[in-house]
Amino acid sequence: MNGDRFSSLKTWALLTLGGVLLASLAGCATVRPEQRAILADPTMQFDEKAGDQAALDHALENREGSTGGGSVKGGGCGCN
Amino acid sequence: MGKPRVARWVGVGSSSLVFLCALPARAQVATLDVNSALFLEPSARSKLTVLNPSAALTVSPVNWLTFQGNYEADIVSGASEALKGGRLSNVDIVTSATHFSDTRHALTGGFTLTRAFTHLTGTYTYGTEHDYRSNAFAISAGTDFLQKNTQIELSYGRGFDQVCTTNYTASDAPSSRLALDSSKGCFTNAKDRAARDISLNNFQLGWTQTWTPEFATQVVLSAALQHGFLGNPYRSVVIAPAGDQALENNPENRGRGAIGVRGKYYVRSLQTAFSLGGRLYRDTWAIFGQTYELDAERYVFPWLRVLVRGRYYTQTGALFWSDDYTGGEPAFGPRGQYWSGDRELSPLSSYLLGARALATREGEPGARVLGLFLSCSGSVGFDALKTKLRDFTLGGTAPDDTLALLGSLGFRGEF
Repeated sequence: MNGDRFSSLKTWALLTLGGVLLASLAGCATVRPEQRAILADPTMQFDEKAGDQAALDHALENREGSTGGGSVKGGGCGCN
Repeated sequence: MGKPRVARWVGVGSSSLVFLCALPARAQVATLDVNSALFLEPSARSKLTVLNPSAALTVSPVNWLTFQGNYEADIVSGASEALKGGRLSNVDIVTSATHFSDTRHALTGGFTLTRAFTHLTGTYTYGTEHDYRSNAFAISAGTDFLQKNTQIELSYGRGFDQVCTTNYTASDAPSSRLALDSSKGCFTNAKDRAARDISLNNFQLGWTQTWTPEFATQVVLSAALQHGFLGNPYRSVVIAPAGDQALENNPENRGRGAIGVRGKYYVRSLQTAFSLGGRLYRDTWAIFGQTYELDAERYVFPWLRVLVRGRYYTQTGALFWSDDYTGGEPAFGPRGQYWSGDRELSPLSSYLLGARALATREGEPGARVLGLFLSCSGSVGFDALKTKLRDFTLGGTAPDDTLALLGSLGFRGEF
């Protein structure tokens, strides 16, 4: 039992460490405004067609035992 | 709430809307979003139809402030089995399917405050149907930093819901509780009905990151806490070999957590944006779910883009779920203390394939589309979902309603 808990804690610790490392890499990523033509396109935005996706998510939530972890608004040109 | 008071609020609301509409126009003053989806589950005995129309209006009287209003309905009709038993149950489950219909209305109002790098959104939603009521508050805040290459969004939602059940008391043994036969008398003073509270807390953290001019990722962490009556008030479960049945009895608490990771990459040579995503889910009922998604979207014409998508999902069953509770489970084990006929708590997997086409037309400042819109778009979508139920049966018979079809139509106009 304690071994399972230790293994679980170790997994979470590794995941957290990985997340922190990845987040720190974000500071190295610099895409300048003039390079964002493609990122500004609707096809490259997360949760761009929210109304359409909401109906599908609603149906799936009623047919599955899980929920959460879906898309949030984000991406794009960052020009607002 | 008395009628004069309602009229006063309607008056205040109308005046506010007129006031907002009369303010000087900006680049984009209002957006109207109208969608309608039709969900069909064909079946010989328990078919289901859900029509889901919705309309959303957002108005920005000034650059830093947006108001939003949304109406949504779920018009549900079909048939479902009111009694669940498994392979060992000596009762007729299949013909227990009863017809039902109901309509859920949900109204949402909210605002968004926007500054240079931050935004704050607050919403309130009221939902009602014959046997369920919901009040939900949500607040979210987001910010951009590192030259707007990083976006963080935090949100919290609080729900105060009520569900109608038969009028049992906490001291009544769960095995003696009865299921509802209809929603008649719900939320009235009827002596055989009771309203039970459901408390909901939802937390979410989203991190969107731009890595290169063609590549962006998003990580979303979600957590939810639910407390109250978390079963189906209409469903009974066979709990003894003699055919004794009782209202579904789920635990009253559920903690849920999920992490979703998505990446979007634009392949210049194919002129197509690809999206690959995965999601892991775990809850305190011991359901472990995995989702894998892939979609691709490209412009067929400058005004028309097409998306195709695929999705695979698999989950384990809840710790207390069993296809049949008459097989001598220990009374104090999870399957003796709780019983559920919910197939969404059983081990299952599903495949989804779908496509969507979206046409957009941009107007000119001097020549609006249809004389009204700065721009407008219309979309049509279709998805097919096939579910494989690994253990779930209705009295030993596999259900035939495992194929679901979803069609959607949408219109968005900016004016």
